[in-house]
Amino acid sequence: MKRQARIAFHVVTPAAVLLMIAGSLWWRHGVSARQIAMLRSDPEQVLADPVLRNHALADGRKVFLTHCTSCHGAAGKGDPSKAMPDLTDKDFLYGRGRVGEIEQIVLHGIRAGDSKGRDLAEMPGFAKAEPYTREKLPSLTPAQISDIVGFLRAANGNGGYDLARIGRGHKLFSTNGACWDCHASDGAGDAAVGAPNLIDGVWLKGNGSEADLTDIIEHGMAGISPAFQHSISAYDARAVAVYTASLHPSVRAPS
Amino acid sequence: MTDTPRLDDLHSHSEKRTLIFCAAGAVLGLVVAGTGLFTAQGTRIAGVPPEDVATVNQVPILMSDYVTALQASESVGLDKASPAQKRKVLGQMIREELYVQRGVELGLQNDVIEVRQALVSAVEGQQAVDAASTQPDDATLRDQYNRHIDKYTGDGLLTVSDFIAPDMVRAQAAVATLRAGGHPSGVKPSDKVADGEEFYFAARIHLGDRLFETAKALRSGQVSAPIQLPDGVHVLLVKSNIAPVVTPFEQARDRVLTDYRSDKVSRMQAGADAYLRKRADVQIAPGFE
Repeated sequence: MKRQARIAFHVVTPAAVLLMIAGSLWWRHGVSARQIAMLRSDPEQVLADPVLRNHALADGRKVFLTHCTSCHGAAGKGDPSKAMPDLTDKDFLYGRGRVGEIEQIVLHGIRAGDSKGRDLAEMPGFAKAEPYTREKLPSLTPAQISDIVGFLRAANGNGGYDLARIGRGHKLFSTNGACWDCHASDGAGDAAVGAPNLIDGVWLKGNGSEADLTDIIEHGMAGISPAFQHSISAYDARAVAVYTASLHPSVRAPS
Repeated sequence: MTDTPRLDDLHSHSEKRTLIFCAAGAVLGLVVAGTGLFTAQGTRIAGVPPEDVATVNQVPILMSDYVTALQASESVGLDKASPAQKRKVLGQMIREELYVQRGVELGLQNDVIEVRQALVSAVEGQQAVDAASTQPDDATLRDQYNRHIDKYTGDGLLTVSDFIAPDMVRAQAAVATLRAGGHPSGVKPSDKVADGEEFYFAARIHLGDRLFETAKALRSGQVSAPIQLPDGVHVLLVKSNIAPVVTPFEQARDRVLTDYRSDKVSRMQAGADAYLRKRADVQIAPGFE
């Protein structure tokens, strides 16, 4: 009896160990295969594939909660009082909300010191002798800033601004202020350089009040997004990009 | 007759059992090591890792860069791109990598100014990555705000008229007239001052330091004493003087954060400069120390 028990022990123990190793390898292979499938697929098609989508959203949310919530909040809604962009609204500051574009921002950041990142322009502060370090721009007077603010407020449907002020503001927008250079002549912005749309009522900082607009034009803005290339894996970058893209109203994940 | 111990008799010594366990352990170790070596993330031995589209002399071409290049060059995503488009873009990226590697072989970083500038910028950028993404808490930011409160104080606003008299007598007459609320005669308005309200910095540029300091010290509605300057005797009428106002922390928070990061980047770069100098063997010719 004792001998049978010993034999059983010597068979069962190695078998259990081998089973655990095999199971672990099998599980790891499964995860790895899924990660490979995700990384090798067209990033724009991940949300269309039910299996990849579910894994990407689950894994991406974990990465988002770890790395993104301190600025964008757990729900991705940002904070306009801190100029932290809302990732769930209809606006895209950079690009068109494609997963590949978001992934590039995740990996290389915005004004984060990574040469592959986004860093083509920033909002000048016009209440300075030298409003912009990247190119020569003239300063603006308080009256000129007020006119531009009036023009922008009127362009967003706010009443009470006389036509002369709006006209002056519009002219400055297209001339001395050089606003058109980034925000486009119609004020619709340019997602290639991260210049927000100024006529859609969505504001990156504040709520579009006279005080907020004046503050931004006087002092400028230059937000950053970190480059995570060296701190998260390629799979995590893809997953969080997919998750972030899914926050957009047009593709928002069903709850 | 020798009594050979049984394999399953744990109370007796068995060389055979020892060898079997030893061999099993060695095989298991080799399996684990091999698995780790050939499948670990970032390994360049077992073919092309999933996060890369190719490797060139074991230097990866990232899939994310490839997808971006496809979009930029061919305006098409990975799924919609034709095999020819994919080959074309990948061919360009491989060519670029080969040329970069060849450039390094040739030591072009020592000769080409643009390469050197790009390398300096890239290294500075790398040094800034961590600092640029630092996320200080509100207490730290408030400390930064309080220590550099002048940065978050808006510029003052000045509306001023500057009159120039040819001599002191007419200047004093102008002062008296202006203080009585009248229009001075025998003086001409300066063409330096903008017509309307100006930020302090602009008024300083227009008026010059001496006139600006005088105007800044006056309250709204006050008239200065005559000021003798090379181009005549100036009299200033300050129509409005609004002192600088401190921007509340909540409103300036994003600027405070930007400045905090910028300061940290500067500190890190200064540290990196010192470290690189310390570890380098720099020899300077006599007379150029």
